[in-house]
Amino acid sequence: METMQETIRPPVNEKVQEPVISIRHLYKSFGANKVLEDFNLELMKGENVAVLGKSGSGKSVLIKCIIGLLKQDSGEISVLGQNVAELDHDELDRIRVKVGFLFQSNALYDSMTVRENLEFPMRRHWIKMSPDESDERVMETLKNVGLAHTGDMMPVELSGGMRKRIALARTLILNPDIMLYDEPTTGLDPITGREISKLMVEVGEKYNTSSLIISHDMNCIRATADRIVMLVDGKCYADGTYEELKKNNDPKVKQFFE
Amino acid sequence: MAKRLINNVKLGVFVIAGLLLLILALYMIGRDSNLFGKNFELKVRFENVQGLTSGNNIRYAGIQVGTVRKVKILNDTLIEVTMLIDEKMKAFIHKTDLVSISTDGLMGNKLLNITPGKDGSPLVKEGDILLVKRVASTEEMMETLNRTNNNIAVISDDIKRTVQRINNSEALWKILEEPTLSAYLKESMANIRNAADKAADMAADLSAIVNDVKNGKGSLGAILTDTSIAKNLGEAVVKIRSVGDHANQLAEELSAMTQSVKNDINNGKGTVNALLKDSSLVIKLSNSLSNIEQGTAGFNANMQALKHNFLLRGYFRKLEKQKKREEAEASAKK
Amino acid sequence: MALPRTWQNFLDETGDMSRFTGRFFAQGFKPRYEFAEFIHQCFIIGYKSLPLIGLTGFIMGLVLTMQLRPSLIDYGVESQLPAMVGIAIVREIGPVVTALIFAGKIGSSIGAELGSMKVTEQIDAMEVSGTNPFKYLVVTRVLAATTMLPVLVILSDGISLYGSYLGVNIKGITSFQLFFKQVFDALSFSDVWPAVIKTFFFGFAVGMVGCYKGYNSQKGTEGVGRSANSAVVVSSLMVFIIDLIVVQVTDLLGVN
Repeated sequence: METMQETIRPPVNEKVQEPVISIRHLYKSFGANKVLEDFNLELMKGENVAVLGKSGSGKSVLIKCIIGLLKQDSGEISVLGQNVAELDHDELDRIRVKVGFLFQSNALYDSMTVRENLEFPMRRHWIKMSPDESDERVMETLKNVGLAHTGDMMPVELSGGMRKRIALARTLILNPDIMLYDEPTTGLDPITGREISKLMVEVGEKYNTSSLIISHDMNCIRATADRIVMLVDGKCYADGTYEELKKNNDPKVKQFFE
Repeated sequence: MAKRLINNVKLGVFVIAGLLLLILALYMIGRDSNLFGKNFELKVRFENVQGLTSGNNIRYAGIQVGTVRKVKILNDTLIEVTMLIDEKMKAFIHKTDLVSISTDGLMGNKLLNITPGKDGSPLVKEGDILLVKRVASTEEMMETLNRTNNNIAVISDDIKRTVQRINNSEALWKILEEPTLSAYLKESMANIRNAADKAADMAADLSAIVNDVKNGKGSLGAILTDTSIAKNLGEAVVKIRSVGDHANQLAEELSAMTQSVKNDINNGKGTVNALLKDSSLVIKLSNSLSNIEQGTAGFNANMQALKHNFLLRGYFRKLEKQKKREEAEASAKK
Repeated sequence: MALPRTWQNFLDETGDMSRFTGRFFAQGFKPRYEFAEFIHQCFIIGYKSLPLIGLTGFIMGLVLTMQLRPSLIDYGVESQLPAMVGIAIVREIGPVVTALIFAGKIGSSIGAELGSMKVTEQIDAMEVSGTNPFKYLVVTRVLAATTMLPVLVILSDGISLYGSYLGVNIKGITSFQLFFKQVFDALSFSDVWPAVIKTFFFGFAVGMVGCYKGYNSQKGTEGVGRSANSAVVVSSLMVFIIDLIVVQVTDLLGVN
């Protein structure tokens, strides 16, 4: 795994050194509950960063702020050079085409077939495409996640792992520059979790994405992330590669590796 | 995508079915309001519209022709009703046609009736004002009924009084119960017959005398051959006969009359009652009867006189005496 | 706040719902319009409800006729049966019963559907996929419910009257034409219009309450169930409240 990461990293780092996502002094609270306090993060192009934290530590809030589903109290989030908080609806939509979001619960539309689920983002973002092109793209994407035969099935007919793959396919179909993964392996058995992690790395290579992975599953993080950011008490508590953090003796860091 | 198209078609059928049903229902309801037909307006002014409101039906000779559009108060005694009438009716409604308010059934809605008026008057134009036909409303009907009732009460009262008076009328009952009336009649008949017999006897006697005179018998033959006397005598006989006939006829009529009077009384017929109520009639009847009697009696006397005329001159004196006595009797009867 | 907690919750929810309704009017009539989804929802909400609503309408007409007959015979006005049933169905029973069935079927399904979409982040996913979920989910459903319920009520009225026609013919003989002539002679525009107009409000209320309850569903399957349940309860109640208001308004306007 580590060898694979090394092979990925050098070419990317050579190319560009500009951040695709930069978060500065982010504050967010729900009532009296302060979730994020002065959180800072930079995601470079081609980089895969994992945000590690306990349940309820505000990881999901962070990722939803990035995509504009939640609005921060203060601080700045810049995605692909644009300040998310200042964008109007149309501009936000244009950013969202470039950002794929894999939901924790997959968020497949129950009332639609797999094919319709995949077509939905394309239709909604007004991407002009002939039906043939659209079909081709759906098939190609489904092939990339290894589920080419499921096009006419309904989401309820699929297993948890398959759904996760379909959800991934749905986010990939728009060829995003950035992938946001919200706890991609939660609720899956370890074997399936490992398959999904592997798939994440594969599609990352294939679609040439930068990714931000929110998780508390160390196996997944270890397999997919170049760098780990530890979110503790609303702050960026520690930062480093898997190996670096494993060596850290801080009890708050150490508890994740036990 | 094809499935979606089929779904859309189904939805279209569904919605169109609903709309058609609504339109159909509105048409069915609006049939009477001529929602989709051409209309024209007519006006009519009432003193009292009796609860007529817009939307009520209008009928022409019983045919549905339109609806009331609005009811407007012009002043405290006049209400103008605007009627919306089928354009086709323009060819039938005349300016003299009359409008009245009536009720559909016993408890139904109010409606306007247009009754065809006089022939030959011009047809109506848009906005014309038609005349109101006075029709007994229920209230007016009740009023009339009340008046009729009062009249009936008065009439029955009168009838009651009349019957009472008839019951109390002594004169009438007297006539009906008078046994002498029939006796008088019988007597008159007998006298008349008697008179006729005597006339026959006398005629026989006369012919005997004539024969004697012809044969020149007796000293008086010369006088008696005077033909004028014979002629007079013949005339007298004819007259006497006719008097007897008249008397017969009179007797018959009287008996018929009494019969009918009796019947009428028995059946309680009013007109005869009224007649009989008059007690003077009874007297007159008695008088007539006595006159007849008198007549026949006089006739008898004449007969006697004739018999003895040419034999005894003094008989005339006797006759006069008798006459006087009878007259006295008659006046006493009166 | 001295108010009891239940009262506070009630007022809180009422305010929330009003804001939700305000949002509908603020966003519902601005482009871009989700026309295709609106048609799709019309199909689901309208067409797919027809069998259920048609069946209940039919039974309603039949039963009402059979129940009314003895009373009318007592008064000797059996011939008024079509007129009476016609007015009862068109003015009140058709709209209200159909709206209640509609609330049961559509209110709960919207509540459950949007609730589960909320819980499984499908609503967020839509937002991320360049779709305004409020317009895509709420506006389309509310408009579909608002426009489809009147159609359903009209069809249901028609089916009810047919049921009533059969009901009349169970114990008597009336021709089809005579029956409907009597029904329509008894009806006037002022019977139909308020009845049709109020069904728009019924549909709007059912759609709005269902969407509100689903859109604000709590996490977890229990939250979804509660959304569906309270959507039915509240929208049924709303139907009666609107009915009450409409009666008062038509009375005040003199449309009777």
